Amino acid sequence: MSLLEVSGLHVWFEPPHAAEVHAVQGVSFALDAGERFGLVGESGCGKTTTVLALMGLLPPNASAAGEVLIDGQNILAGGEDSVQAYRWKDVAMVFQGAMNALNPVKKVGWQIAEPMAFHGVAQGAAARKRAGELLEMVGIPAAAGDRYPHEFSGGMRQRAAIAMALACEPKILLADEPTTALDVMVQAQILELLTGLARDLGLALVLVTHDLPVVAQVCERAAVMYAGEIVEAGPTEALYHNPRHPYTRLLFAATPDLYGRDAVISIPGAPPRLDGEITGCPFRPRCDVPLDRCRDEDPELRLVEAGHRAACHRNDLVGAS
Amino acid sequence: MTLPLQDPLLSAEGEGQPSHRAGFFRTVLKERKAAVVGLSIIVFFVVLAIVAPYIAPYSVTEPSCAVYAPPSPQHWLGCDDGGFDMVSLLMVGGRISMIVGFAATLVAMIIGGGVGILSGYFGGWVDGSLMRVTDYLLVIPDLVFMMVIADLWGASLFHVIIVIGILEWTTTARIIRAQVMSVRERVYVKRARGMGAGNFRIVWRHILPQVGPLLIANTVLTIAIAIYLETALAFLGLEDPTAVTWGTILENAFQRTAISSGAWWAIVPAGFAIAAVIVGCFLFGQAVEDALNPRLRVAYLSIRPWRLRPLVGRGPGAI
Amino acid sequence: MRGSDYLIKRGIFALVTVYVAITINFFLFRVLPGTAVTDLSRVPHASPQLQHALTVEFGLDKPKWEQYLIYLKNLLHGNMGISFAYQQPVRDLLIQDLKNTIPMVTVGTVAAIVIGMITGILSAWRRGSAADHVSTNAAILFYAFPTQWLGLMLLIIFAGTLPAGGMENPFLFGAEPFFQHLADIGQHMILPALTLTLTAYGSYTLIVRSSMLETFGEDYVLTARAKGLPARRVVRRHAFRNAMLPLVTLVALDLGYIVGGAVLIEVIFSWPGIGLAMYDAIGQRDYPMLQGGFLILTISVIFLNVVADLLYFRLDPRISE
Repeated sequence: MSLLEVSGLHVWFEPPHAAEVHAVQGVSFALDAGERFGLVGESGCGKTTTVLALMGLLPPNASAAGEVLIDGQNILAGGEDSVQAYRWKDVAMVFQGAMNALNPVKKVGWQIAEPMAFHGVAQGAAARKRAGELLEMVGIPAAAGDRYPHEFSGGMRQRAAIAMALACEPKILLADEPTTALDVMVQAQILELLTGLARDLGLALVLVTHDLPVVAQVCERAAVMYAGEIVEAGPTEALYHNPRHPYTRLLFAATPDLYGRDAVISIPGAPPRLDGEITGCPFRPRCDVPLDRCRDEDPELRLVEAGHRAACHRNDLVGAS
Repeated sequence: MTLPLQDPLLSAEGEGQPSHRAGFFRTVLKERKAAVVGLSIIVFFVVLAIVAPYIAPYSVTEPSCAVYAPPSPQHWLGCDDGGFDMVSLLMVGGRISMIVGFAATLVAMIIGGGVGILSGYFGGWVDGSLMRVTDYLLVIPDLVFMMVIADLWGASLFHVIIVIGILEWTTTARIIRAQVMSVRERVYVKRARGMGAGNFRIVWRHILPQVGPLLIANTVLTIAIAIYLETALAFLGLEDPTAVTWGTILENAFQRTAISSGAWWAIVPAGFAIAAVIVGCFLFGQAVEDALNPRLRVAYLSIRPWRLRPLVGRGPGAI
Repeated sequence: MRGSDYLIKRGIFALVTVYVAITINFFLFRVLPGTAVTDLSRVPHASPQLQHALTVEFGLDKPKWEQYLIYLKNLLHGNMGISFAYQQPVRDLLIQDLKNTIPMVTVGTVAAIVIGMITGILSAWRRGSAADHVSTNAAILFYAFPTQWLGLMLLIIFAGTLPAGGMENPFLFGAEPFFQHLADIGQHMILPALTLTLTAYGSYTLIVRSSMLETFGEDYVLTARAKGLPARRVVRRHAFRNAMLPLVTLVALDLGYIVGGAVLIEVIFSWPGIGLAMYDAIGQRDYPMLQGGFLILTISVIFLNVVADLLYFRLDPRISE
């Protein structure tokens, strides 16, 4: 039994005055302790919504379906009320752009200690002390806990956000674009920090990003999302060297080199709208090798080799590439 | 970290910003009920103001009933202290009040819009000195200043219009200035500059259309304030007492002891009329302003949480 | 001290504004044609001795710039001239009037703030519900009703049960107990203060509501929810503090205008405050009173602006420049 198992996760949004948007369409994956898993795709593909849904952090105009099992328990079963109990204690999140993710009028140390007191992990002086230790663990002097977020640099804020996420010793850490808006040197440090923490603390790490070199550096396995679905999943090596979905191939090909600065993906066209019916493969309009089948049949995510799945009709062709 | 609900390709240059021309107002009216209600009220009163002299049942210069006559089938809202029919007074008074409100706002808009555009577009010392001036003007308490000026210059409708206009332009100037500054930095404006377009042309063709909706929202809200201030000035005796406005109706009622005479009809309807116009202006102006605010109305806190749907069947075709 | 140069800068700016206000005051009342101080024939009951005394005191026979200097010198000594109508120093009269206005305005404003906060928070919390609509529309309605009309309505409703005018019962003079005197004033204060509350609370409700709704969309609120904190607690500990900041500035700025705006209320209820004094001064053509009152009110607006700055500075740790 895996530590984290996501099964058939769907999320819909009802925007005011507009049709319902099917943002996440049947996402499934599993993770064990200590594994580092990447969730990749362009903006709007549903990867952020997916991880938010893992913690039930959806807005009032959203609805969800499917299962999120932590140690076999479906934490979404009772809706918002039941999932609250698991937040931060079993699964925690590091948000992107930690500038705004930290409350500007509260001291950083207080913000780290707050969930500890609430979940009964530590109180008062003990909590403050532990907050200091966490800060040290991520490479910030403990005394900085007495400062406010705006006094921190971007990289320090991100580290503080990571320290905060670890406050109640979660088993699963979700990191949503933790390095966007940071410069390259700081990026590398943060990624090393995350890798190290996953290893030393035995955390299961889900790293959401649109930046492929990041995934290649940190994650052993990854899933590529497009238009709300996972279109390919498997070991990062396999995705890079043997992509079995045109989108994955184009994504990795578009990146100049593993340590390149420019992560802008330029595949012509745009992702499909998620507020209507899509017939056939959602990637077809932008695919460079479409088949006739692709117009009518939506391909299923199927095994192409051990631990490697892809949703493309080309994999059915004999001798396909 | 905002939820991905819009097409990401549009966010880059602000080309897809919603504040463009006529289609924008249509959208606002379609999506916001408050805007429709507000606009209807405004239109109703504007129409009323226009036709008032023709449909007022009685004259407002010749008395037509007894002093403080109570409401009756002939006079639905009774009469005031001079024996004038209240319904006619309200209609004609509304006309003048609205005219004063609009005129004062026009003055404020011209000055404020002009200052704002100049300040925002040219920046530098032009901006600095103009903003200093507005700072000092903002500090002066409105009503007292108006009392003093109206007293020094004499009590007439014209002076009231000018005085209200002089004091109300500062907020407009601030808002327009901020908007112009942000538009000035947009790519297409820089492009126009690069192609050698003159300042006036840039302001006219590129900046004004973007600033337009905000200016309209601000105008409507200023009209509300102007009407409000007119009633206050009239109440304090700083307006031509022979003029018939909603403000003088209330002033007369107060001065001529309507309350002790029990003549509530000389007071109550005027207040509702004034409030109606102001509410209408507020609803419409506020709705437009809200629609111009580009921030996504995401709510992470609400009393109503997200819903859980039951899974029906299995497999990718489920649900 | 943190950002003490910011405070000094604001203080200096305030002083400069006061100076500008004093100069504008002089300009309005001495330089513009047609004022009684320049045209002595307009002074009521002006005996030759009085005219001579006024000429000497204000240097009316001297050139304008000298008058300006005399004016400044007088102000520095707290000399604002003699009231034409009461034949007493303007300064003493105005101070007494201020002492009458301030309690009434304070009571009314505090009540407006409290009601505004409660209704605003409630509306934001139950956004879109019937309670929200009722509360918001009521706020807009009361904001739209003219102040004088509200006062008149209250008079209509309560005349007979509550005192209809004045600040105290004129027959209650003499050696009666202090508390009885206080209660008497209090009773007289109810209607005027209530009028102020009704007219002012609407804008506070709307601002609190919109400010809270905006806070609800901030990232740190999502973070707080992610920590497993229940929604109520997130509102109390995180949203509330940040949402109240705009209200603080609005109220402080408003106060400056309320003191002058209370003139309508004081006229209706014959409350012997600075507003009524200005109103009477106009009727009696008492220009020294007008000039002095105008200056005092302008300075109080400047002063309250500085207070607003200080408060905001104290409450928002981000302000340091």
